[in-house]
Amino acid sequence: MNNKGQMIGRRLLQIAPVIVLATFVVFGLLQLVPGDIAVTLAGENATDARIVQIRQTYGLDQPFLVQYGHWLWNAAHLDLSRSYLSNEPVLDQILHRFPTTLLIVAVALLISLIIGVPLGIVAATRPGSRLDTVVTSFASLGVALPNFWLAMILVATFALTWNIFPATGAVAFGKDPAKALLHAALPAFALAAGGIAEVARQLRSALIEILSSQYVRTLHAKGLSPTAILWKHGLKNVSVTLLTVVGLLINRLLGATVVVEAVFAIPGMGSLIVHAAIHKDFPVVQGVVLAMVVVVICMNLLIDMLYAILDPRVGRT
Amino acid sequence: MRASHPGRRQVLALLGGAPAFAAAHPAKAQGEPRRGGVLRVSAPTNPSTLDPMTGSAGSDHIYLYTLYDTLVEWEPATLEPRPGLAESWAWPDPTTLVLNLRQGVVFHDGTPLDAEAVKFNLDRARTDPSSNVKPDLASLRAVRVTGPLQVALDLLQPDTALPLILSDRAGMIVSPAAVKERGSRHDRDPVGSGPWRFVSWADNEKVIVTRNERYWKPALPYLDGIEIQVIGEVNTGLRSVITGQNDFVYFLAPQQKPIIDRAKNLVLVSGPTLWCIQIYLNYGRKPLDDVRVRRALNYAIDRIAFNKATANGLAEPAMLNLPASHWAFDQAMADANSYDPDKARHLLAEAGYKDGFDLDIQGTSDQRSIQREEVLIEQFQKAGIRAKFTNGVIPNSTTQFFVEKKHDAYLSSWTGRPDPTQTYQLLFSKDGFYNAGRAGPVPELIGALLDTRKDQAIADRKQAFARLQKLVTENALVVPLQFQFEMDAHTARLHGFRPNLLGKPRFENVWLDT
Repeated sequence: MNNKGQMIGRRLLQIAPVIVLATFVVFGLLQLVPGDIAVTLAGENATDARIVQIRQTYGLDQPFLVQYGHWLWNAAHLDLSRSYLSNEPVLDQILHRFPTTLLIVAVALLISLIIGVPLGIVAATRPGSRLDTVVTSFASLGVALPNFWLAMILVATFALTWNIFPATGAVAFGKDPAKALLHAALPAFALAAGGIAEVARQLRSALIEILSSQYVRTLHAKGLSPTAILWKHGLKNVSVTLLTVVGLLINRLLGATVVVEAVFAIPGMGSLIVHAAIHKDFPVVQGVVLAMVVVVICMNLLIDMLYAILDPRVGRT
Repeated sequence: MRASHPGRRQVLALLGGAPAFAAAHPAKAQGEPRRGGVLRVSAPTNPSTLDPMTGSAGSDHIYLYTLYDTLVEWEPATLEPRPGLAESWAWPDPTTLVLNLRQGVVFHDGTPLDAEAVKFNLDRARTDPSSNVKPDLASLRAVRVTGPLQVALDLLQPDTALPLILSDRAGMIVSPAAVKERGSRHDRDPVGSGPWRFVSWADNEKVIVTRNERYWKPALPYLDGIEIQVIGEVNTGLRSVITGQNDFVYFLAPQQKPIIDRAKNLVLVSGPTLWCIQIYLNYGRKPLDDVRVRRALNYAIDRIAFNKATANGLAEPAMLNLPASHWAFDQAMADANSYDPDKARHLLAEAGYKDGFDLDIQGTSDQRSIQREEVLIEQFQKAGIRAKFTNGVIPNSTTQFFVEKKHDAYLSSWTGRPDPTQTYQLLFSKDGFYNAGRAGPVPELIGALLDTRKDQAIADRKQAFARLQKLVTENALVVPLQFQFEMDAHTARLHGFRPNLLGKPRFENVWLDT
């Protein structure tokens, strides 16, 4: 337990430098992009004097490091500032939008596991068979398909032609769970195509390796049924691999929502950061990056802790 | 020129056949208006704010029109002024405008919309540090309350553009009580006197308004409410209307017409607008400081071909700075920028560019803009102009050209203003933001601009605009290319919608089948 505690402590200590590094790099990149939010804010009746006035009001005339330091100081006091464009607190915007993105990611993950795991098991238990070939080919296709293209095909078929699912938007899960899931279904499936493939392929190769190992041969020799070997010994041993895949998948899905949210006009984190980045609304960009970094670090931490539970050797190292 | 400048009704008939014709004759084709129902609109942009004074985007108006009345209104087809909250106005002398306000108008919070409220609004618009409409009211010296429902506007100089300026942001009247109570929160929790009152705004998601039961226009509005959903990508917005999630989508591109035609449940509505695709020129530096080079650019473009290639003909070739259906359009100048590549080459040779020259143009990276660039590169090439485009997203490109003064020219657009004086002033005056070089190559322009603000009669103002347009065209201060058509699609259950020359949809006269 001590070792596990130290591991968690080490991970927690990494959070601060990772956040500073990530937000500093993103802030630096935003500075490199041409453009000036003061011009956007001055609007269609812009004058040179008004632009100067706006720059002063928002501190945009301050040096780069001063602007970043100011943001970091406020963020350290849990104040993520206000959006330049909407004047809304950034934290409110993130808290409002994050559940929408999270629901899509969760449904996509669920679909990936529900379909990917059985496919992986079926392929691994019949290696080289026609079924295995079909699963492997499907998995390759799933990885290769761009999710925005698949999203558009899904919209054209299931929303525009058959009118089964809505083509755009999102509903809050707390407001109407059934409607929320209906809205999340198509974007989640578009995101899940790659996830299904990844889960199936990784699970197949890990399971094949285990099922061909010597101790499994011993289990066969002891007279255990193939089903018992698979469920009691095979799957337990591939759970660590599966956990790794799930951890990576969640991080990838969070990133991929940027594109899919645009196709489905979903007001989530992806569309928030895209809009903010285009207009150089840097408090929002910084806030979203910060939120994403925290989520990814927490997810990794959770996965590490689960490793330690599933495989006691991890906690001892 | 008749073919290239069809009238408004011809355009509507040409565009969409029966549906467009129905849009031009709403009452005849669509039955009697009925009250009730909530209109669901797909909008491509989030409002910048919902306070007309602090907002910054031309795309805000679809939201603002639901919440606010304007002192002056305009005719949808021509933009000629007509009474609004001011039921009449008069010019006792050239520097005094008297507005007589309508009786019995109240704000959504129940406070009266009277002369004091109008004075508060105009003073706020011209003096508040957060005001983005100060330039519109630059000629205003003082506002006097001369009666419970009468205000007198004292001007620094004659300004007959003011009535139409007061049909835009500057004339949208907010509740003084609400502004005093809420301060900057009024940006997101506004109170006006318009046909609907504000309910909620989820940023980049949805704006909801509901019926103003005390609205002053008899029987209006028909709709119980409007829900405007922000869908940034217009193709996605169109899909939301095809599937019935929304009833109305606007700012569509001509390329989307076949999709609308295929969707049997949709009606296409279209009409000309002031929205001009144009090339802004930095004539404060070489090579565009030479009028011959600028004129060569204008002669090098075959606008009819450009229109066909980039908009399938569903737009109006822009010879001047106003479309043919505008009240101030000058037919006499309509051929001034006709395609003549030989003349362009000759002018370039005269200017010392016998072998042509490299033109460095800022562009934007959207698909339609790239298509325009490809056509322009080819057309310019025929006149010996080697155009090279540098693309970026719109906010960045705008900053680079107008603020950082990079590049010779900028392919972008001008959304238009209710009064043409605003357009010419903002684009061509020496200190105008959209005059990238801040250069004043035509001294007579200052006087010509002032002349457009002197006369009260529309016919007299038209003459002044003709003189101004002649100066702009002869000195080639801009390269106008194409007036966009407003293109909207709606479901068959929506009736009574009419496009307008400003290209910004309004819904007061719209009703829904129950």
